[in-house]
Order: sequence, then structure tokens, then C-alpha cells
Amino acid sequence: MSKVIVVPCSGIGKVYGLMAREAALAVTDHLAKETSETICLAHIVTGDEEVTGKVCGQSCISIDGCASLCSFHSLEAAGGIVKGKFRSVDEMRFHRGANPGTGSDLTEVGWQITDELAAKIAVKVDEIQKEAK
Amino acid sequence: MTRSFAVLPCNGLDKSAGCIAREVALQICEAGESELICPVFYRLAEAKYTKLAEEKSLLVIDGCATRCASKLAAEKGLKISEKINISEEAKANGLALSDGLRLSAAEVEFARQLAERIGQETKTAQQAVTEEKLKFPAELHFQTYAKDKFLFKIPDNAGFYFNENDVWAYVSGKKARIGVTDFVQHSLSDIIYFTPPVVGSEVEQFEETGNIESGKAVFEIISPVSGVITAVNETLIDTPELINQSPYEKGWILEMTLTAFSDDRDLLHEFAGYYPVLKRKVDEFHV
Amino acid sequence: MAEKVGVLACSGEEYLGGTLSRLAVRHVMNKLRPGRVSTLCLPLYIAGGEEEREFAKKYPCIAVDACSKSCAKRATIKYSGAVRDVLVVSDVIGEEAASCRTVSARDLKPEHYAMMEKIADAICLKVDAILAE
Repeated sequence: MSKVIVVPCSGIGKVYGLMAREAALAVTDHLAKETSETICLAHIVTGDEEVTGKVCGQSCISIDGCASLCSFHSLEAAGGIVKGKFRSVDEMRFHRGANPGTGSDLTEVGWQITDELAAKIAVKVDEIQKEAK
Repeated sequence: MTRSFAVLPCNGLDKSAGCIAREVALQICEAGESELICPVFYRLAEAKYTKLAEEKSLLVIDGCATRCASKLAAEKGLKISEKINISEEAKANGLALSDGLRLSAAEVEFARQLAERIGQETKTAQQAVTEEKLKFPAELHFQTYAKDKFLFKIPDNAGFYFNENDVWAYVSGKKARIGVTDFVQHSLSDIIYFTPPVVGSEVEQFEETGNIESGKAVFEIISPVSGVITAVNETLIDTPELINQSPYEKGWILEMTLTAFSDDRDLLHEFAGYYPVLKRKVDEFHV
Repeated sequence: MAEKVGVLACSGEEYLGGTLSRLAVRHVMNKLRPGRVSTLCLPLYIAGGEEEREFAKKYPCIAVDACSKSCAKRATIKYSGAVRDVLVVSDVIGEEAASCRTVSARDLKPEHYAMMEKIADAICLKVDAILAE
């Protein structure tokens, strides 16, 4: 069975981009290592044929930093079936007043929020896999 | 004559504000032909309440700032006709909410008065129905100022006024629509929270009326004009990022009926006066 | 004389080079050359980010790529006509290091930060050369 493709945005300018990236790594490297994988968003947006071929028709999860939704839109444009749409900025609504860090470093609470997001994504990966079975 | 609603209270069982919300909902329904929507059941099986929500005006009663009932209504795509927030009403009426879950006598009386007030047709409600809607331009024309990779847009359509707190008002007759400028949304970056003002409240020029918050800062919305708030952009509660995406159009914040515009305008800028203010701020501030 | 330089970096999730290029660019922007460098978000740039593209048309840009697919360089040429200079991360830290599996910010070690500093210094040389023109 194919792995679920988890693609974070690369948001270099904001802490939410780093949170999206780290959440994706936590999922694909630890929480759902056997059932998920990541692909570089830049390869998708530049239309790399090998990569878009891999994405097309496959179950995907997008993790965006902000409302620009670069990952979500790019996955859809490449023909990916986006079954989970997450935004790291939305997690901040459960942590009003928290300072998650910067685009280079996360604070302790930033890591906590990222881990919570990663846990939700891992659950979604699991759901997608079960659906496919 | 009492008004008839589909009433959606929050389900806050763990605090007195939620219990009061329930009490207010029950009293409204007992007093007339309003009907109750159970928020828990609605979340699981909306079919039971679909017809009710279509036929009657929706009254949402939130207990606190979490606004669970409002969020549920937005989730279900319902149009909210009226809403109240128990915590805000209590604060406005000088009532200190108890820590317990059984309502005190003062809280019961507060609930009764609130239910009575909502249930009756008021002069303000009638005015809101008969008043003309604000005519907002179909198309805005912008001038821009660029700094690094950031473009700051300001509309130069007639009718736009700005205060030095970077809040705009579009004035049309006796009505105004209010929002924050592109400078504010750039400075704040991703806006995550919107705390709206209370519809029906009276605001003086330069008084705070609600706020917006990002990970960087809280921005108090300083009203450029005096008036009575007649509408709030409810969609911002769940999608505050509309202010970032479209600060002059989809991200509008509130509307009001003006009460002193002929005096207020002396302290406001139109486009020509605001543009240099914006430039100075942009040049001084690293976004 | 240029007042500012844009840096469009890949922050590719698949390779260590992407992680380090992201950190290096931010380090240059925030610490080494504050006020002289703007980062541009690659996915947003490609997806049509008006502000990013306008900046790249007006100011000289450096593309920083982690792998041979050269997403940043190709995007800069495509959307702003020219790239003023290019840095390939593997030229600085070696092909083997650049193409290692990516690492979470939690797991970065002193040797990773040392590599990041080398990349940042290489970017600074290019930035300084452009600013001095």
C-alpha cells in the first residue's frame, strides 16, 4: 500500500513555516514512519515530472504555515488527493498568548504546539490508511 | 410583541456563564414561540434542526470568549441574526459571575432580564430593519507604497477616511464601515483572533472597539468615528485571516450608524493626508 | 549601488542541504547582514506571490539551492528574468553532507551549525559583492 504523502510548506519567513516543517518530520520520521513520507514542496511547485508523477492520484496531507496554503494548492494542482489539510497557524488558537519562536528556532511551547499538530496529522495518516484498506 | 427565534446556546456546563446561557435560552423559549437547538445533538445529527434553522431567525448565546455556539453556527453555515455573549453582558451590567455551577439569585434575575430584553421588539431592532444598507463601492482603486518586498495598499476612493491609528472608515450617508489598513495587517502578520465589539453599543471617536491579535501583538481597533454599532463581520471570528488577505473588502470589521461625523471628520485624513502618514510609518518600522 | 539583495533559497525537506540553507539564509538576514537582505518564500514566489515577484524584479537576487534540481535558480530566472548569483550548497559543504537525509531542528548538532555558518558566510560574500557594485 502506498504511503500517505505529507507535504509541509517551506515558509522561510515565519515561525509557522518552521512548525509545519517540523510537524511533517515528526510524522514521517517517528509517529507514522512506515505509513507516510514527505516530498519537497519546491519540486512540486516547479513541476518536476518525477515528483508530480508520484503525487498524482495519491492520498496526501498538506501542512501549511498560513492562509496562503501553498502546499495545499500545489498538491491539488499536481493532482494529489488532499485528504488532510492542516495549518500550523490554526494550532495557535488553542494557545492564546503563547510565543512559539521564530522562523529559525522554536521555543519550548512552540515545540509543544508542533508536537500536538504532529499527533493530529499522524491520526489522520492512520485514518487514511484504514480507509484505503 | 415577542420575537421568535431558533435559539442556539453554548453548552458550557463547567462555568456559570454557560449555565446562564442555558437559562436565558430556556426563558426565551418558554416566553414565546422560540425553539431550542441542542448544540451537542446538532453537532452529531443536524437533520433534526435543519428545518428550524431555515424557518426562524437564529439567536446565538455564547457563554464566554471561546464562543462555542457562534463557532458551531459558522461550522453549519448558519446565518446568525442576533447574538449575545453572557460574560460580556455580565461585565457591561456590573454583575460578577459566581464560581459555582448553581445560579445565584442575582444570576437568575440577570438571565430573566436578558431574556426579556431579547424577546421584545426594540426600537433599535426596528431601526436596523428599516435603515438603508451601507453602499460600499463595487470596486476599490488603490495606490501603493513599496518597502522591500512589502506592498502597502491604500484605497483612494472618495468616502474613505483614516485615523492615525491606521483604522479606516468608509462613510456613506449616515452609515460607516470600519476596518484596519494594509499597514496593520502587514505589521501583525497572520491574524489569529478577532474579539468583536458588541452590536448595539455606542462608541465615541478614538474609543477602543474590539481587537485583533496575531502571534506578534494585540491590536486595539481605535474607532475613527462615533456611532452605534449595527453589524460586525461574523466571518472574522473563524477566519480572521481575511483581514490579512483583504483588509478593505472581505476583512471589514464592523458597521455603525454615525452620530457625530461632521465633528469627527475634522480629526480624520482622507487619502491625500493619510498617504504620507503611512509612508513615514512604513519607513520607520521594519515589518 | 544596490540597497538590498533578495535571497531565494530552497528549504527542501528531503535533504540536509535544504534544512541548512534555510537556516543560513535566515542567519544572514537576521544577524550577519540585517537590513540588507530580504528572503523570498520560494513556494509563494512560484505560486504567484505578487510582492515576492515584484521585489525580485526590482532588486538583485541570489538563488541558494541544496540539490541539482536547482528549484530556486530556475524559479528566479523564470519569474524575474535573471538571477544575479547562485550558490549551490553542495559546493560549500560537500555533496555527501548536502544530500544526507534532512534533520529536525531538535536534532541539529554543532557540526550542523558549523556547516550552516559556512553556507551563511558564502552567501554573505555574494551579498557583499552585489551591494558593492
